[in-house]
Amino acid sequence: MNWKMSRVVRTVTDIMVVPIIVYGIYLIIHGHLTPGGGFQGGAVIASSTALLIVSYGSFRDYKKDFSSMESLGLTLFILLAIFGILLGATMFHNFGAGTGGLFGGTVPEGINPGYVNTGGTIPMMNIMVGLEVAAALSLILWMMAKASDSMEVEA
Amino acid sequence: MIYFILQLLVLTGLVITAVAVIWFKDLISAAIALGASSLILSLQFYLLRAPDVAIAEAAVGAALTTAIFIFAIRASEREEGYK
Amino acid sequence: MRKVFAMLALLVIFAFLLLAVAELRGEDGGFGEPVHTAMDDYFLQDSQSHNQANNVVTAILFDYRGLDTLGEATVLFSAVSGVLTVLRKVKPVKRGGKE
Repeated sequence: MNWKMSRVVRTVTDIMVVPIIVYGIYLIIHGHLTPGGGFQGGAVIASSTALLIVSYGSFRDYKKDFSSMESLGLTLFILLAIFGILLGATMFHNFGAGTGGLFGGTVPEGINPGYVNTGGTIPMMNIMVGLEVAAALSLILWMMAKASDSMEVEA
Repeated sequence: MIYFILQLLVLTGLVITAVAVIWFKDLISAAIALGASSLILSLQFYLLRAPDVAIAEAAVGAALTTAIFIFAIRASEREEGYK
Repeated sequence: MRKVFAMLALLVIFAFLLLAVAELRGEDGGFGEPVHTAMDDYFLQDSQSHNQANNVVTAILFDYRGLDTLGEATVLFSAVSGVLTVLRKVKPVKRGGKE
């Protein structure tokens, strides 16, 4: 069964999917400055997958890709957490704060406008968790839609 | 004062949609009422100055849960009750 | 008799919860002014110099209480594993007869 919705819905979907994904990426990489973070951004990205599946009624076979994205995100998150132990501190120690490397800038004390290149391991963990949550929720949606015959799988 | 009136409106809408979820016999209507309830609840979280929770509630409750419920209803019966 | 015991147990639990809530309130009695503020003040004052990040909520989620976030990610992973296990295609297995 093909459950393609009308042309109006498909055009609006084509226009709206890219801003939704860009907003999700913004939430993830600005997680240490503004409200938001990995889980919220990943959920917003996964809702764009829901929009595509509902309006087009067909989706490509991305099951293996979603699965490996999710496993990659969780594995890198745990490795970043354990890396604190290897440096002689506790688990989830923020070893990157203020060292000058990637995301290693320093912030002034008090109220400031916020700089993206700060935060140490917090933005890296945000990116990993965002990857994992986006892939996991998209995979759940994909499997539920396929199992309930709401979607046909493109070759 | 405007804050009080806004919060009163939001809480009234929350109660109305939550009663509508139980009152509907059509399960798809109930799922959509649950999505509306989640959206109003996220507005209430924003009024209580918790924007993190508001974003998560709006994305998960209003979009993903409604889609998953409707997929599950399509694979089973649409009306409530035994046959 | 059982109803009397049930009512007594309910009253004891209710009184315990009421005392716990009353102990949480400040000495001025204002709601929203908790007594035990040592941890809150520590996070709010030192988070910016510890983590070099502005958002205290994210700093608590990913640094001070990181194991909680790890548990949340593991819960999501197990949910996906459960969905994949329930909704997979199974080949029909022949039962009986020759094996």
